[in-house]
Amino acid sequence: MIEGSISNRIRVLRFHSGEMSQAELGQRIGFTRQTIAAIEAGKYSPSLEAAFRIAHVFNVPLDEVFQWDVKVPH
Amino acid sequence: MPYREKTAWLSLLAMIVTFGPYFTTIAIRALPSEPMPNLHQLGLFAVTAIVQMLILGVGHLYLRRRSTQEARMPLDERDQAIMRRSFSSAYYVLIAGMIAVGCVMPFKSSGWSIINAALFMIIAAEVVHYGVVVFSYRRQA
Repeated sequence: MIEGSISNRIRVLRFHSGEMSQAELGQRIGFTRQTIAAIEAGKYSPSLEAAFRIAHVFNVPLDEVFQWDVKVPH
Repeated sequence: MPYREKTAWLSLLAMIVTFGPYFTTIAIRALPSEPMPNLHQLGLFAVTAIVQMLILGVGHLYLRRRSTQEARMPLDERDQAIMRRSFSSAYYVLIAGMIAVGCVMPFKSSGWSIINAALFMIIAAEVVHYGVVVFSYRRQA
């Protein structure tokens, strides 16, 4: 199985959207502030639908928000 | 701390504070030798249940007033995932307990011992349920 980890640029995108707060982003996609904080910190991976919603809020493609970093086996 | 985690802490603490002393009392005292064991048992259970309801009622009111907006929000997908995980963990505890109480205990015990054992397993399952909720929120905090 291919190993990897998901990273995201939500913090940067929030900054570029007029320092949007986690609570505001959460409100717009129906999540709590704590869930946004968990996603941002990489402690929770959202569903595909939620990921699309986040990308839609920032008006960017999905891969500008989430990246999958493949672990190369030695 | 999320509102759901606070309510889970509240439920966990309410159960430990009320049913902890209840089961300790039952374990220490030899109830069948008393003149009216049923009345004593029912009284003890009623007091425990009422105290638990009071703690939960007051606690929920307090938490709801402190975070009105969050309390009104429906569960998001992370909350739902945590709930699913906690319910499935608690289910295994409950089913194992019910098998022990319903299939094994009738051969060795009777009466209040069986009722209290069943009650203990229900409380144990609830503790696991809220424990998993708290643990999951803490891990992702």
